[in-house]
Formats: sequence, structure tokens, C-alpha cells
Amino acid sequence: MIKRIFIRDTNSSSADKARDFCNVLRNQLREKQMDEKVQLIRAADMGVYNQGIVMRILPDDLLYGQVEEKDIPRIVSETICGGKRLNDLMCHHAARQCRIVLRNCGVVDPESIEDYIAQDGYQALAKVLEQNDPEKVLAELKTSGLRGRGGAGYPTWLKWNLARNVKESQKYVICNGDEGDPGAYMDRSVLEGDPYSVIEGLTIAGFVTGASKGYFYIRAEYPLAIERIQKAIDQAYACGLLGENILGSTFRFDAEVRLGAGAFVCGEETALIASIEGKRGYPRPRPPYPSTQGLWGKPTVINNVETLANISPIILKSGKWFAGIGTETSKGTKVFAVTGKVKNSGLVEVPMGTSIREIVFDIGGGAGSGKKVKAVQTGGPSGGVIPEDFFNTPVGYENLQKIGSIMGSGGMIVMDESDCMVDIAKFYLRFCVDESCGKCAPCRIGGTQLLNLLEKISDGKGEEAHLAALRRISFAMQKASLCGLGQTAPNPVLSTLNYFEDEYRTHVLEKRCPARKCGRLFRYSIIQEKCKRCGLCVRNCPSDAISGNREKGYVIDEAKCSRCGLCLETCKPNAILRG
Amino acid sequence: MNRLKKEDLNRIKAECRGKKKDWIKVGYSTCGVAAGAQEVFATLCREVKEHHLDIEVKKCGCAGMCYAEPLVEVNVEGMPRVFYGKVTPETADKIIEKHVRGKMLMDDHIYDLKVHEAGAEAGLS
Repeated sequence: MIKRIFIRDTNSSSADKARDFCNVLRNQLREKQMDEKVQLIRAADMGVYNQGIVMRILPDDLLYGQVEEKDIPRIVSETICGGKRLNDLMCHHAARQCRIVLRNCGVVDPESIEDYIAQDGYQALAKVLEQNDPEKVLAELKTSGLRGRGGAGYPTWLKWNLARNVKESQKYVICNGDEGDPGAYMDRSVLEGDPYSVIEGLTIAGFVTGASKGYFYIRAEYPLAIERIQKAIDQAYACGLLGENILGSTFRFDAEVRLGAGAFVCGEETALIASIEGKRGYPRPRPPYPSTQGLWGKPTVINNVETLANISPIILKSGKWFAGIGTETSKGTKVFAVTGKVKNSGLVEVPMGTSIREIVFDIGGGAGSGKKVKAVQTGGPSGGVIPEDFFNTPVGYENLQKIGSIMGSGGMIVMDESDCMVDIAKFYLRFCVDESCGKCAPCRIGGTQLLNLLEKISDGKGEEAHLAALRRISFAMQKASLCGLGQTAPNPVLSTLNYFEDEYRTHVLEKRCPARKCGRLFRYSIIQEKCKRCGLCVRNCPSDAISGNREKGYVIDEAKCSRCGLCLETCKPNAILRG
Repeated sequence: MNRLKKEDLNRIKAECRGKKKDWIKVGYSTCGVAAGAQEVFATLCREVKEHHLDIEVKKCGCAGMCYAEPLVEVNVEGMPRVFYGKVTPETADKIIEKHVRGKMLMDDHIYDLKVHEAGAEAGLS
């Protein structure tokens, strides 16, 4: 059988070194008359980073790391010709991802129900209907330890049980697909890549709680997700997997899509219910919780997309299997959308208990820019930043809370040294201020006040007293706001203030922004000795802030300058100074 | 389609799994479409038709490697299953020419591969 060898230089992004290496290897193979039996392939990525030249040899599936040219003769004679494994070169690369929620994403055609059925689709529903014992499903979920993946981490079985125990003829189940955190798109990918698993999960939720109607609440900004879930619902109706007598049983369940018009607060369950009812998306105080009084006053269960996608595997493979993955209090896996200053941005599903370092560096490949990674932000505008010192923390609901952030729905934004923490806090806070519904004063007024203070600090008008004020207002918002939006809005401010107080102090006391992000705290100027008078900066300046001519030289007008940095990027002799 | 019963599920499952056929999957979620999956998909379909190849071109969801979209996974009997990343219509042409017709893997475009999947590479432990 032909051998295939994948080769990549995992230390750099250029293919030069790998190409030279391939040539040497090819010549040596030719000497042994082996070149016909081996194909060498330069790979673009191997999922291994900073291990020098890495070789993966098929069909033996050996992974060699830190390979040097001097090792080639050994590899050719012993591994390729002799089929022997060279233990000193073996590179350990454990498969860190574990796909439960994303099991079908990228595998099945999302518009084909047969594809889903071929991957054990609807077997869980068939099993549940055949057993016809909701208590058994609840027991299985209890053993599994599955907790809500929307962020709060409420045990799923408990939520279902509460709604189940209410005596009421009409109940509802809702799938919350109003994913609004900046940088998070796990739910979108699941809805787009595997819509049937979410429908199956919701149908099972309906059966267990006694609900005959389910809603998919999906934000209107996800047109493809809406299209796919709608097609899937139509197809499920046509196959008798929704509607009356599902799979020949007496169970009836209807599902419908409702669109969210893009308000962040509508991801909060009481506001979401108001939105489905056709009212303005205002949250209301709890209790009563939706499980007793929800949609149209009826008992309602609201689950996140990811939670529902976990249901069928638990039923098919048992709760015990699921509980075997993860940590003591957080079971199973979590999908993260890793974005920001990271080499491989994308979706990652890891068992709970995986460290942040493994996610960012081993799977994400570290910072793409070559700069040092400074922190990650998890949990969106309700979360916080986690500095690099805490990257060994295993992910889990309680662990992340302990270090001042939250798991949230799974957004993970990587930040490097060029990100300013005051600016980050300002960004998330502005998001919450924009999205605040205005119903309660702590959120409406507190948020605006916090934002004003942050703007003063980044404009160089900050005073030391402002830092104490930030903490005081944040505390008031956390305690007195009506819903989760206001209670958690100050989190990014507090956590950046906690871990990066130095940066705040530099802004306030020295009027300086170490990351050079806050435009008012640095300026661009031209070093006249270095300037070659080419005029490139003048032509590239979008705000006409550079004046002068070839004889007299050029100057930047600070008042007009928008701090975009284009002049710095375009200047060939590096005559632009930022400081 | 008719209303399904439990037995039908097993029948469909067996039928689909029984089909032994080469296939190409194109990541067709928002991340893929934004990176140009539509053109890649069209190119692959056109080339397959033009050369009368017995290979199925399918759409699928996001495999997670959004940084490498458009992502094209190729499964050809007797070869490892590989993911080609950052595929342009030109690369798609080459995938058909070299990988599918020539049975050779392409340099510089492979982002990931699956070895332990049944049938992809026989004789593995």
C-alpha cells in the first residue's frame, strides 16, 4: 500500500522550510527506490503548533515532531522501509476535542432528514416514545448532570420536572436561539449544521413536560438558520415526526418558528416570552418563574439550542456515559466560539474541565499576530476578562465564576497586547447601554453613568476618584437591576478593573494608554530627520490632517487627526512616531 | 415522504449506510458562504458533471474550522479523508483534477484529515 507523509513546519506560516525538507526527503527516498511508493504532501495545518517540522505518516498514523534533517536517514530506513516506530520522535497530540453537540455539524446535509436518520437521528425520540415513561427520561437526565448551556447552568432535569409537575392542560416548550453576545455563534452553527437534532431535543422536552407546542425563537439576523430550521420542520411534518401520532404513537407535538427582531434583552427568558406573545420585549420580575407561569400564563420550559442538542445523545448513550465526561459539577462538553486575536478562529467543543490554555494555544494555535496573548473574554457582555495568569483554570460553571467571569453561552474572545482594557470595558458597556430596555433605573441610569466615566478616563480626563465611583455604581447595578441584563452589565468593568487596575491607573494618573488604543492619549507626529518628503502620508490621510510640501516638509495637525494610523502603516522610512 | 414508524428509521439508516460511494462535502453554513462556498460548490458540481464522475457533491454544516473556510472534505475510496481549506474555485478545479481523478493528495491546502473513520483507510489499528 502506498504511504502518505504529511509534512509541515509548525513554527512558521511559510512553506519554505517544509519545501526544502520535502526535497531532501524525496532525494533520499529515490536513492532507496522508494519514491514510487511514498507520496509527500505539504499540509497547510496539522493541528499541532510550535513543534518544529512535524510529519504524519499514513497508513501507520505516526506523528513525528521536532524532526531535523539529520533524522531523515533514520526515518527512511527504519520507519518507511522497515515499518518501525521511532519513539524518540513521537509527538504526543491527544485529541482534545470531543464532539457531542457538534457531532453532526459538517457531517450531515442539514437539509436532508435521511442524512440525519442515518446518523442515529430520531432513535432517541423513538426510544422515549416506546418506553412511554417521562420519569425515566428525567431520571436519565438527572444522572447525566446536564445543565443549561445558555449560561446560567440550571439543571435541565429540574427545569423540566418543575413544568411537568404543574397541573395544566396546555404547556409550552421554547428553544432559545436568540444568541446575542458579540462574537458568539455556537447556536447559529448548530441550527445551520444540524437542525434536526434541536427539533428532536425539543420534541422530547415536549413529551416529558407534557407540552404539545414548541417554539423556536431565533433572531432575524440569522436568515440561513431560520431557513434551515423551517425546512427541517416542514420535512419533519411530512414524515410524521411532528404533528399528530408521532412515529405511530399517540403523542402530538407542533413546532413553529418565531423571529426575534434583534433586541439583546429578548434572550432573557421573561422578555423572550413577552416577545413571542407579541408584546414589547420587556423582562418582568421573577418569580413566578416561566416553569409555572410562562407563555400566555402557561407552564413553559425554555432551553438553549446547545442544551437541546445534548438530549438525544444522553438518551441513546445513557446519563452515566454523559456524566463520565467533564468535571465534578459541570458535566459533558461545551462549545466555544473562539474569536479575536487567535490564529484559528472557529468552533471548538471540549470536555468541561479543559483549561483555557489548551483551548487558546493547543487548539486555537495562540495569537495570530505573534504578539503576546493578554487575556480572554468569556460570557459576552455579562461576562468578564480572564488574564493570562489564570489560563490554567479548567472551564466549568463554578470555576469561571470564581475568577470573576462566567461561562455564558460560549463566546471566547482572545485579546493580545494591542488591546486596551479600558477600551474593552467601554465596548461591552456601550453594548449593554444600547440594549438596555430602560424599564428599571439602575440599568438605565447606572449604565450611562458608567459609560460616561469610562469615556472620561479614555479621553485623559480621568481622576482617581472615578475608579471608586466605577466600583460603587457597578455594585448598585448588580444589586438593584430588574433582570440579568442590568445585573451583569457592569461585569466587564469590574473584572477589567480587578485584574488590570494598573492600566486604568496609567490612563488616569499618567494620561497614557499602554496599548495605544485610546485616541486622545497619544498622537502621531513626523520625525523630520527620518522623513524623505515623499508625500505618501499626505495622500493616504483620510482626514486631511497632514499639511506641508516637499521643500518644507510635512506636519500632522493634531486637531484634525483621527488616529487611524494609516500614515504609520504607509510610511516607508518609518518616520511617523506614535506616542 | 410517508409517515415514518420506528422500523422505517432503521430501514433508512441501513439504506444510507449501505451506500458506498465517494463524496465531496462543502461547508455551507454562514461562515462558509461568507468565505465563498457558493462558487466553490458550483465549480465542483460543474466539474463532476463535465467529467461524468461517480462522486456525490453535498452541502454540510460548519465543521468548526471557520478560519479555513470555504472547507471542502473529500472522501475517495482507498485514500485518506481530507479537509481542504481556504478553497477558491481554482483550487476546487484542482481538487477534481488531482485528488478525485488523479488519486493524489494536493500540497499546501490540507488542513485536517481523518484516519480512523471506517473505510477511509483500510488496515489501520
